[in-house]
Amino acid sequence: MKRYLLRRLSYSLLSLVLLSLTIFLFVRLTGDPSVLLVEPGASQADLDAIRQQFGLDRPLWVQYGSFMSSLVRGDFGQSFYYRTPVLELYLSRLPNSLLLAVAAMGFSLLIGIPSGILAAVRVNRWWDSAGKIFALLGLSMPSFWVGLIMILFFSVYLGWLPSSGSGTPLHVVMPAVALGWYFAAAHMRLTRSSMLEVLGSEYVKLARLKGLPEALVIGKHAFKNALIPVLTLAGINLVIMVNVAVVVETVFAWPGVGRLLYEGIAFRDFPVVQATVLLGGAMIVVVNLVVDVLYAVIDPRIRYQ
Amino acid sequence: MSRRKAAVVLLASGRVLLVGAALLVAAPVGAAPEGQLTWAVHVSLAPTWFDPAETPGVITPFMFLYALHDALVKPMPGNAMAPSLAESWSVSREGLIYEFGLRKGVKFHNGDPVTADDVKFSFERYKGAGASTLRARVAAVEVVDAQRVRFRLKQPWPDFMTFYGTPATGAAWVVPRKYLERVGDDGFKKEPVGAGPYRFVSFTPGVELILESYDQYWRKTPSVKRLVFKAVPDETTRLAMLKRGETDIAYQLRGPLAEEIKRTPGLSLKPTLPTFTEWLVFTEQWDPKSPWHDRRVRLAANLAIDRKTINEAEYLGVAKVSASIIPRDFEFSWPAPAYPYDPARAKQLLADAGYPRGFDAGEVSSDAVYAPEAVANYLQAVGIRVKLRPLERAAFYKADVEKKLRNLVRTGSAAAGNAATRIEAFVLTGGLRAYGGYPDIDGLYREQAGELDPKKREAILHRIQQLMHERAMFAPILEPAFLNGVGPRVAESGLGLIAGHPYSSPYEDLKLKAK
Repeated sequence: MKRYLLRRLSYSLLSLVLLSLTIFLFVRLTGDPSVLLVEPGASQADLDAIRQQFGLDRPLWVQYGSFMSSLVRGDFGQSFYYRTPVLELYLSRLPNSLLLAVAAMGFSLLIGIPSGILAAVRVNRWWDSAGKIFALLGLSMPSFWVGLIMILFFSVYLGWLPSSGSGTPLHVVMPAVALGWYFAAAHMRLTRSSMLEVLGSEYVKLARLKGLPEALVIGKHAFKNALIPVLTLAGINLVIMVNVAVVVETVFAWPGVGRLLYEGIAFRDFPVVQATVLLGGAMIVVVNLVVDVLYAVIDPRIRYQ
Repeated sequence: MSRRKAAVVLLASGRVLLVGAALLVAAPVGAAPEGQLTWAVHVSLAPTWFDPAETPGVITPFMFLYALHDALVKPMPGNAMAPSLAESWSVSREGLIYEFGLRKGVKFHNGDPVTADDVKFSFERYKGAGASTLRARVAAVEVVDAQRVRFRLKQPWPDFMTFYGTPATGAAWVVPRKYLERVGDDGFKKEPVGAGPYRFVSFTPGVELILESYDQYWRKTPSVKRLVFKAVPDETTRLAMLKRGETDIAYQLRGPLAEEIKRTPGLSLKPTLPTFTEWLVFTEQWDPKSPWHDRRVRLAANLAIDRKTINEAEYLGVAKVSASIIPRDFEFSWPAPAYPYDPARAKQLLADAGYPRGFDAGEVSSDAVYAPEAVANYLQAVGIRVKLRPLERAAFYKADVEKKLRNLVRTGSAAAGNAATRIEAFVLTGGLRAYGGYPDIDGLYREQAGELDPKKREAILHRIQQLMHERAMFAPILEPAFLNGVGPRVAESGLGLIAGHPYSSPYEDLKLKAK
């Protein structure tokens, strides 16, 4: 087990180092950030001064070395745009992203699981078709469009909800639905397929043969077993939601990590992009590591493979 | 008390009352500030904008500098260089010394007086756009006394005030030395203290800034108590906020959304015109083998573009059709005659130049898409066959500065300055963004650079602009507008009060409607 843990840990570290190198190089491929920090037509001297200030005049390998040595000390650098420590910025936005992700996850499970169960129980009937259409719409409609339509309808026409920003529970409703809808569709599909698999299993047949009521067969014997892959996916999706709500957070002016990433990309704020991608990557790596370790604890065959 | 003595006392107290009443009428004592104004701002709010020393050469920080801080001299309504913290200034005959007399009794938000020492300190710590130019030309800043400061130049520099007293730099904006030395640069950005009409309350980086009126502001007590700036990156969301009354002013909306504002009762459209121009560059006009070497071809391109229609489609007709690369509000700008939209004459000119069937003109490189696409279509219609090559801004800028772009380039500039600074960058041989030049224009430019008489200098700069126009060096397109929406609660938005400034200002002039 110890060797297994060390191996998995070293893989995780390697993934993060490779991610750091990739993101470091990729953001620099997008061009010179100094151009975006001045007015078009600025003098060469002004551009040079900005490059020098941010250390962009140094060779690439020197910049990477300095970035990594700071990273080891827990320093993600200073934002070019905000001129404040990136970690401070990230941590100030993280609670908002967590709140949005939890609300969106709640919505997606509330919609996705019951509709998935219904579609599986009423397979190839009206409910199943409706569920498939719901899933198709959820997966194919872009969240920015969903967001804008919601703003128009619930905010401008009906006046029920605030159009953007944060601060009250009402502010969370629309961004959570816009973000959660895609995931609701994914959860619905997985619940449906997982339920179908379980409903065809021998123990469910046995339960039915024993004459148990259908509600008990579905609720107790099938659903509980079908839920395992859905919850595993939901756990990973929660981490993804925290980090990828870029479009939803931008449309709703929600002050989260996704919007920070959007701003970082828009202004070529290299330290912000590097930090948000790296910290997001670290969250996913850690979640995967924990899942792998738990699997190994539960199933000894995994650690000996 | 005798009757006579009582009469004197009565008379005296009557005079006091009269004087008091007169003072009450004359003094700018308005009602106490009240209410809140909210903006939905198109950009993410950065704390660097609270420190004038880091003004990066974009106009955006001035959105906040006008609220938090004050400058010796700054553009104000009706005056491009209005005395502010400086009551007056003088220039020595040889143009080497600029002396500013400070307004008395002005205090920063923390109660410290604004002194000549603060002015010197602010100038010396300035590291934003144009800092190297200022340093290269200013020999010393001397504190004459607490209320007077003197700038000594190395040699006469007629554009000193253009750099110092306009948004070309933030060097004239004054910060409190004692406070800054105590809290440091980072502390200052977290809690800025200035001498402007509004004081800092709170800031969430990138999200929201809250300011409150500074009742002792020297010019007048602001009318609105609280200002809230919210960063809302999506323009549709900004419009929705305005329609719902969640914001009072929404910045930067494009054509179709601005139309919606015009259609909505209670909302009004308030366009502003920043000192921004966009134009086409004929990069190959100096190559004798290129069709663009022929003036008739360049003129044909100018006559082929229907600027008025582009303006109506993109800016609802409120932008300015342009015939020069120099904004009309710039000092020394020459009012160039407009190029009419005349495709028939454009075709004739092309035929005269030996291209009766037009010619393949290659690419129009640009970092924007909407306006250049229309321009490309108009050129196409008269036979100048071009392809639009949209480039990402950084890549475009790099290629442009390195003069790697070919054929036609759609470019623009919002850099502050005057006609001379714009010519230096885009027209002069070897200019930062110039693809070539003409010796006579270069000679005239050198001549004006040493000319201290503004009238003579203006005449030379006008001559340069006439030559640029005669030679059809560029195809100017528009001076684009910022389209802003204003809600029903606002009596004075401050939009458009200061020429060339795209945002609400001066903040002390803003007003809410009476309830």
